[in-house]
Amino acid sequence: MIILEVSELTKHFGGLKAVNGVNLRVQRGSIHSIIGPNGAGKTTLFNLITGSIRPMSGTVLFEGQDITGWPPERLARGGVARTFQRTSIFMDLPVLENVMLAIRSREGRSAALWQSHQHEDEDADEARGILASVGLRGREDAKAGMLAHGYQRALDIAIGLALKPRLILMDEPLAGMSRGDRETIASLITLLRDTMGLTIIVVEHDVGMIMRLSDRITVMQHGTVIADAPPEEIRGNEAVRQAYLHGSFAE
Amino acid sequence: MTGATLSERRTRSRGGLIGLAIVALAGIVLPFASAGQPFLLMLASHALIAAILALSLDMLTGNTGLLSFGHAAWFGFGSYVAGLLSKSASSDIVVLSLLTLAATVLVAGVIGAVLVRQIGKTFAILTLALSQIMFAIVFVFSDITGGEDGLQGIPMATFLGMQIVSPTTWYAILLVALLLALAGALHLRRSPLGRAWLAIRENGERARFIGMNVNKLKLMSYVISAGLASLAGVLFVLFNGATSPDLLHWLESGKVLMYVVLGGVGTIFGPVIGAVVFTLAEHYVSTFTDAWLIYFGALFVLIVIVAPGGLFGGAARIAERLSARKSGRRTAQ
Repeated sequence: MIILEVSELTKHFGGLKAVNGVNLRVQRGSIHSIIGPNGAGKTTLFNLITGSIRPMSGTVLFEGQDITGWPPERLARGGVARTFQRTSIFMDLPVLENVMLAIRSREGRSAALWQSHQHEDEDADEARGILASVGLRGREDAKAGMLAHGYQRALDIAIGLALKPRLILMDEPLAGMSRGDRETIASLITLLRDTMGLTIIVVEHDVGMIMRLSDRITVMQHGTVIADAPPEEIRGNEAVRQAYLHGSFAE
Repeated sequence: MTGATLSERRTRSRGGLIGLAIVALAGIVLPFASAGQPFLLMLASHALIAAILALSLDMLTGNTGLLSFGHAAWFGFGSYVAGLLSKSASSDIVVLSLLTLAATVLVAGVIGAVLVRQIGKTFAILTLALSQIMFAIVFVFSDITGGEDGLQGIPMATFLGMQIVSPTTWYAILLVALLLALAGALHLRRSPLGRAWLAIRENGERARFIGMNVNKLKLMSYVISAGLASLAGVLFVLFNGATSPDLLHWLESGKVLMYVVLGGVGTIFGPVIGAVVFTLAEHYVSTFTDAWLIYFGALFVLIVIVAPGGLFGGAARIAERLSARKSGRRTAQ
């Protein structure tokens, strides 16, 4: 079953065809990766889907609903969450509060002037549960900024999970991480798919890890899709090999 | 698990209550200490108004990080609206407060809706422009506002039909107003709204991506802040018996910002302390020298560099370090 369908999505910046007539179909409950050399248009595609920028043409359907050009806050409430390449958390606030903010936002209680102890406790318990699921049990009271890098990335994901999304998009979740942290985050992503049935779209540079992680891979170059297949087929794909050889794979 | 959150909640609210009690106590003791010195009581009353004004700016800048260079706009607005209403509608302090508050919410709501969509410097510059526009409006309609002479001859304020005459009564009213405002600010800080504001202050982009309507939340902060500033204006004009364009001047805005930075942005109690210290110091230092603004300027620079958290933030940090050393020694033994 298709959860996200992107049709003929196009965005040009001046003369640069950053994303040019891209089509994409993502299966529910899968890990779908988008890779490609630098400047291939991955990040632009990501930002088009998550509402950071508006496309010039084309449509994005989420669960059959047209979400093209929706602003981020509306998407977040509609079941589409994202994480950030440069970890984006509330550094000065406690870890638990980071997640509780997202829970209250989901429940439409962000602007409440008052909250019952019962709600407060329910939110805290739910947040503890989510933190435990990403391996942050016991760190609830620490200031988010004091966490190690890998844990901060996990918290970023926990904030996303608190929105109870059906689809979560991750912008280079493995970028800038140590080898051990990369393994941890990769197994966390797999866990989310397997235990929660989440659909996860990953935009990545780290091709090696992606090959093991993904159910399906879309390869982009020069703003277009040059391959879309399961990892084993991608590995033997001549066009992909060419793209990476001529592209910026060396850097 | 629930027990832990309960005890957390208690410790969190305890700090605020202790602070409130200290402010209340200091406020109550002062009239006795200043017995026979009516001037001191008046100075203290002005300090209380300044404290409410400082707190109002902290509700904006401290909560959401939006910097206002023109906060005096709402102080002056409140004073003129209440002053004009007191001549035509009612002299009851509660009625005047409510009417002025309603007017401010309306006007600040419309202006704020435009302002909060601007980011960073643009917002700050536009707030400055707003205060200058209000300043100019006073002169355009000088037949109503009194122009440069200010709005004079405000009738004596009443409360439930009784005239408020005695300086001690005025002082008590101002003290209660400050305590109520402080309690409100402390409550807001702990409410979902207050914590959403802190999230916006820290990372507005992320706040959007967890589904928060950032502009709406910022607007609420702006309107609440403007509303409290206008109430400070109401109290000022009724206490003082007159208001003038000086209240709308950018120097006044600068002073309010100094109270907040001096005391500690976002610390709630800090700006109150900053306002009181500044008001008293301004009076005493200016009796020694005309160049007092130069000394304050230097102090301001020093605070920003040495203690970016202001007086309150700096004191809290020292207390934290002392208690850490004490507990460190205890574990060492």
